[in-house]
Amino acid sequence: MATLHAVKKYATLPPTVRTLASGVPSAPTVNLAARAVAGHGHGHGHGASARSDAPARFAGGVKLTSAGLVSKSYLTPSSTGVFQQRLLHTTVARKDAPNVPDFSDYQASSDSTNRALSYFMIGSMGVLSASVAKSTVTEFLMTMSASADVLALAKVEVELGSIPEGKNVIIKWRGKPVFIRHRTPDEIEEARQVDWKSLRDPESDEARVKKPEWLVMLGVCTHLGCVPIGEAGDYGGWFCPCHGSHYDISGRARKGPAPLNLEVPAHDFNDAEGKLVIG
Amino acid sequence: MAISNAIYNAVFKRNSVYVTTIFTGAFAFGIGFDTGVTKFWDSWNRGKQWKDIRHKYVEES
Repeated sequence: MATLHAVKKYATLPPTVRTLASGVPSAPTVNLAARAVAGHGHGHGHGASARSDAPARFAGGVKLTSAGLVSKSYLTPSSTGVFQQRLLHTTVARKDAPNVPDFSDYQASSDSTNRALSYFMIGSMGVLSASVAKSTVTEFLMTMSASADVLALAKVEVELGSIPEGKNVIIKWRGKPVFIRHRTPDEIEEARQVDWKSLRDPESDEARVKKPEWLVMLGVCTHLGCVPIGEAGDYGGWFCPCHGSHYDISGRARKGPAPLNLEVPAHDFNDAEGKLVIG
Repeated sequence: MAISNAIYNAVFKRNSVYVTTIFTGAFAFGIGFDTGVTKFWDSWNRGKQWKDIRHKYVEES
């Protein structure tokens, strides 16, 4: 690991003052003629006599007391009286390198890998958020749909064997009347011979019934929601007494204000038990 | 380097492709997640669910 030590180096710079012609810097407040303490510039007591650098008595020392030897040192000894003037000395810190950390451990080795990885992470975030959003919306919408018990109630079974040919039966399904007509072959023939493409709501009889002899329709007039009367009207089908709409034997609007044919609900035949399941 | 450049050029370069990939990925992820969780649930509750014990009570007619 490449650690960086900021190495400090000191340099003694010459006083930035004017230099005399003799080469001596002109420093008027510095006494260049001052002499150091006697000796050869430092006093540490050569020779056989007692060391001259032993601490003076005022700085402490070892004394023999009744309790034994006691060593004391005083924290603030008085001045020795020896005064040395400090010479002009300037130091600056020099650094070997500019003050920038080494980021090479944290830098991606390759720009393209780094770019692909960044986009990949962003994309993964997008995938997760899209999934979360989608499932949130889906779950919320699921709470609006009917539950299984409601759906089970929303079906009605009709015993087909009890309806004789050429008769109408009206049953209630989801609060609405449903017409079931057991049509005779003549009626089927009549319903199929009509030129249905010229009708107001063109629909063929084959498209409206699953079995030709059984016609299943919602008994609600498509005009304003009255309940039409069976086996009445000009076309031998249904007649709405409210505003005079006529429906034929296939439940198609033929006359009057009704804009659409009578609606056919989703229904299925259970042949094994002879039943009709509406819903 | 070559792989990441190839991926970048194939997917990330155009935003339309990128967003389409994200939505497709979200769709696939949703299906996979559902399937995985359902499988885990079934294996964790093996023998406790109705579909596991149905054959004991219902005879196929």
